[in-house]
Amino acid sequence: MVKIPVLKSITEANALLADAIRARFVQQDVLVLNIIASPGAGKTALLERTIEKLHGELRLSVIEGDPTTSLDSERIGAAGVPVVQINTGGGCHLEARMIQVALEQLDVEDADVVIIENVGNLLCPTGWDLGEDAKVVVASLPEGDDKPLKYPMAFATAQAVVINKIDLEPYLPAKVSVLRQNALQINPDLAVFEVSALTGQGLEGWLDWIREKLTEKRES
Amino acid sequence: MHEASITEAMLDLALEYAQGQRITDIYLQVGRMSFVVPESVGFYFEYLSRGTVAEGATLHFETAPLEMTCTDCGRQADLSEWADEQPRAMMVQALARGCQCGSSNLRVTGGTGFEMVSLGVEAQ
Repeated sequence: MVKIPVLKSITEANALLADAIRARFVQQDVLVLNIIASPGAGKTALLERTIEKLHGELRLSVIEGDPTTSLDSERIGAAGVPVVQINTGGGCHLEARMIQVALEQLDVEDADVVIIENVGNLLCPTGWDLGEDAKVVVASLPEGDDKPLKYPMAFATAQAVVINKIDLEPYLPAKVSVLRQNALQINPDLAVFEVSALTGQGLEGWLDWIREKLTEKRES
Repeated sequence: MHEASITEAMLDLALEYAQGQRITDIYLQVGRMSFVVPESVGFYFEYLSRGTVAEGATLHFETAPLEMTCTDCGRQADLSEWADEQPRAMMVQALARGCQCGSSNLRVTGGTGFEMVSLGVEAQ
């Protein structure tokens, strides 16, 4: 047997493509967010509310990842912003090559912020760079306040966490303060927002964070 | 689930480096905190490699340990006392303890990847 040294990352192709996507967005001054959460955490509801609140102020575009359906992109389309659906065909996460294809259908030159809604999954999506500026975890209270301890990589690689469904706190054993504390234990640099996408409570801090991130990117 | 596409990428890389030579062994390194299940890779590899020069190759998996580094002092955390535990439990406990410099800013700096170390090909 002859040994051939390789020493290469298997996911290098994804990383290189993600860097190329990032470079393109830097040129166009577009902020890109990659939203990661479990199924049912309220990613789409948060997006709907975010679109509504930023209407007329920032131009948003959305890339929707879903294993098989277009239910979420129909909701986002109804909210009145450009949206492209990616069906992963059962796949558990989005990859950079899917974003590249989606971008051919999206006129990002007319956008200030592109929000990518990843497939509902707290594990796999954290391993694939999509060329985003920041990963954002949406963690809803009914899922339990120990989520950060069970899925630490999602929280460790994110810049912000949106704690959703806080309006349900009186009916649940889980506590918003414990979820916040657990998230910060995993990643002290996290920006934490406590919201209810349903009632609109607490959204202002989250919206300000998007505004700040966009300004930061444009000034850099 | 994603092991199918990851195995495809791994096979492509192996075929690229082998340049048509018959592959007998593939040496891989899987991080403890990676999203790759070796058994699953082996399962898909058997199917995907059929009809290629990699068919029948033996996959060798080596585990790369979880590494955490303090962002304030640059020290690498000593995780040895939790070596037998699940990586996520290791990570949570290391974060709870913090760095010996007093900082709690530990970051995962290793053990998340999936790499091909080398290939064994038949001597011509």
